[in-house]
Amino acid sequence: MSDDKQLINELADVVGAQNVITDPTALSVYECDGATLFKALPDMVVFPENAQQISAIVKLANKHQTPFIARGGGTGLSGGMLPVRGGMLIALNRLDRILEIDLKNQRAVVEPGVVNLLLTHAVQDDGYYYAPDPSSQKACTIGGNIAENSGGPHTLKYGVTTDHILALEVVLPNGEIVEFGGAVEETPGYDLRGVMIGSEGTFGIVTKATVRLLRSPQTYQTTLSIFETMDDASNAVSSIIAAGIIPAALEMMDQLVIKALEDGFHYGFPLDAEAILIVELDGIEAGMQDQAQRIISILNEHNAREVRYAKDDADRENLWKARKSAFGAFGRLAPSYITQDGVVPRTQLPKVLRQVAAISRKYDIPIANVFHAGDGNIHPIVLFDERDPDQCERVEMVNEEILTACAEVGGTITGEHGIGVEKMDYMPLIFSPEDLKVMASVRDIFNPTGLCNPGKIFPTPESYIKLGLAS
Amino acid sequence: MPNLDLLHEELTQIVGEKGLLPNDRYKDYRVDGFIPKAVVFPESVQQIQELLALAADRGLSVIPAGSGTKLGIGNVPQKVDLVLSTRRLNSTIEYEPADLTVTVQAGMLLSNLQMELGENGQFLPLDPAYASLATVGGIAATNASGPLRLRHGTPRNQILGMRVVQADGAVVKSGGKVVKNVSGYDLNKLYIGSFGTLGIISELTFKLYPLAESGITMLLSFKRFENAAKTASEITSSQLLPSYLNLFINGVPDTRIVDPCLVVGLDAHPKAIAWQRNQVQWIAKQSGVVGVEITQEHQAAKLAESMRTFAQTNPSQQVVVCKANLRMSNIEEYIGVVLDVTSALECTVRGMGLMGTGQVYFVFSDFADTVEPETIASTLAELRSHASSVGGNLILETAPVEVKREIDVWGTIGSGSGIMNQIKAQFDPSRLLNPGRFVDGI
Repeated sequence: MSDDKQLINELADVVGAQNVITDPTALSVYECDGATLFKALPDMVVFPENAQQISAIVKLANKHQTPFIARGGGTGLSGGMLPVRGGMLIALNRLDRILEIDLKNQRAVVEPGVVNLLLTHAVQDDGYYYAPDPSSQKACTIGGNIAENSGGPHTLKYGVTTDHILALEVVLPNGEIVEFGGAVEETPGYDLRGVMIGSEGTFGIVTKATVRLLRSPQTYQTTLSIFETMDDASNAVSSIIAAGIIPAALEMMDQLVIKALEDGFHYGFPLDAEAILIVELDGIEAGMQDQAQRIISILNEHNAREVRYAKDDADRENLWKARKSAFGAFGRLAPSYITQDGVVPRTQLPKVLRQVAAISRKYDIPIANVFHAGDGNIHPIVLFDERDPDQCERVEMVNEEILTACAEVGGTITGEHGIGVEKMDYMPLIFSPEDLKVMASVRDIFNPTGLCNPGKIFPTPESYIKLGLAS
Repeated sequence: MPNLDLLHEELTQIVGEKGLLPNDRYKDYRVDGFIPKAVVFPESVQQIQELLALAADRGLSVIPAGSGTKLGIGNVPQKVDLVLSTRRLNSTIEYEPADLTVTVQAGMLLSNLQMELGENGQFLPLDPAYASLATVGGIAATNASGPLRLRHGTPRNQILGMRVVQADGAVVKSGGKVVKNVSGYDLNKLYIGSFGTLGIISELTFKLYPLAESGITMLLSFKRFENAAKTASEITSSQLLPSYLNLFINGVPDTRIVDPCLVVGLDAHPKAIAWQRNQVQWIAKQSGVVGVEITQEHQAAKLAESMRTFAQTNPSQQVVVCKANLRMSNIEEYIGVVLDVTSALECTVRGMGLMGTGQVYFVFSDFADTVEPETIASTLAELRSHASSVGGNLILETAPVEVKREIDVWGTIGSGSGIMNQIKAQFDPSRLLNPGRFVDGI
């Protein structure tokens, strides 16, 4: 009996044969995540239903020296779940229970496979919600959000996933089940919960999380404004921040996005406009009208051509619909696209956006922009045809130049999508070999055999050659 | 002592005359009664590196510090040789107000930073005790916070990036300078609250906020603390957004109030303040409030300072300060347990609860002369076990050395212990940095 065969039998003993997939056709569903350019087929996918089973599976993987990788909703955008060295995917979809809702203490205990939006659905009638809201929130899971330290449009005011997690139960890469953090805000010792969040599945598998719930805001004020030029829109963003207002969200879309939206959904946006800006305030009703008026005057001062204003919840939904349907519209522009995720200091936004436009012209690759302007988190959407090898080569240069531009102005190469396999080559743009050595030493403590999600985050010797940094 | 003279000479060569504290003042930096062999103030990262190399070579322990306001926290040290203060690394490296971020050296005093930010209508929303003494590096290393944490969180929510001199002298960056960043592991979290056991923080980047338009503080007095607690719990489950919500079990320091009192901070748009003030008054009335006072500006600022320094005491006094971390819903009952359990000690008990986030500070003083340290320690152990039985914990922040020798100030750390010890061994294999003071003997 081959070693793989024996492993599969042993896995079946743990979870039942029906919960182990090895058929190549069935496996092909699991060959990629949302970063569809990167593909790698797992040797098997296993569907456990609790931490004990995961611990047993991880121990088997160790026994057979097989790489293992956790997978949530498969919506990741950096190939973080990709089995680049083959091995086993541990799919967490069956761990999808909300175990406890404790509104009195504003927290919930959930399994990693719970879909982000479903947690909010479970508590919204009581006036609560879970704040991190990645665009994929209808499909992505809390476990995946923890692995990537996900953000979303409302992180400007409310922070990212790490600001909303109190405790984690983790199966370490050796199969041991441990707890980091606790039921209360602070626990003594190093903040291993904080270190675990954003470790992209390389420190172990989260099997339970205690998350913070927030009280829903009393009210919202949402505007959507249309600008002739990108600079006007960017300057409006700076002026809002300079006026001492921290909106809940500040989202921007450029001309190419407007065109895609109009082609697909007919929102009545003028095709000659260069930018659309969504500004949302939330909080206490008293006084909010004054703040909204102030924002509208700032928008007008910066030559907004039109300001649409949500009068009620339905209006608000409508204004957000444009932003949320943007990604669905790109399919009309090109057969494939890559979503970049650089972050720059807010004041550098106009400059970097001009650079992105220049890079697009230089390589003759269209780039659309839809992004979190308040955070300086840009999402250039690189549009191309993955069947055309020449385009693919140019896209690689485009990626490199965009990320270099972000790094050069003091920014970073990913704000919420993670490094995964997609950006590991570019890590030397922002971290020195010494910085990376310390990170690797921490990984080696959690994951000494390297079997837990190998081949991610860290640059290879080839990465340095590619960037022209090899000595 | 010729060896000590030689050491001082070598240290002077690294940091200069001005970088070495005169030896008659070493006692200002004593830790649990241990007087350091030297106190040094490097003014560059290179000097920190040289000091670490010297300490490693001579087998000296290094106690990282800012101004030393938090040096009392921790277990009784194994040895205290060299106190290394970052006070002279105190410049602003980069401040672009429109980016709402600032990068400063670790020895910058919080008050100086706030002054610089205030000129642009901004601030760093951290309010630990002694802003005019506390350095931002020390605040990060101890994850120190104050009443404002209800609205803004702790250093772990505000720090975007750091530079840390490792025990081996390597200068390593974590995080970055932008407000959103998931490139690589979030090692900021490892250093924040590590009490100097993993490296010496030399530089930090913080997220900033605009200063509030206006603010008021409400003092709500009750006959029984249970009523104050009920009011607090109604406020936290409402849509009000107080900036702090502090319950005083028996009186508010520096005021005439001797009853249980809930202090509510409101800062927002004037209309939002007015609306919230009415709501708070209405909620308090339902719970039998007996006194409502509203203060602002100078008086409110004075009150805020009293709250920030509530748990700070002169270490020479026989005082015990504990911080309980609890679920909000357990606070009221826990306070009752503490009052009950400590009644046998016949000491004065003061208490302040951060009702929206779950920390309760207890200050025990005026112990009877006959009370033995062992009795105090066993009482604290009992309080700790009550806290753990409801999923919380109890950290001993200040206590006489005799008490600390009887009880671990941190308590147990659970199943993360293995990884924590390995991290310490990796970052500081020769146990140069603050040995023995942190959790689990780290």
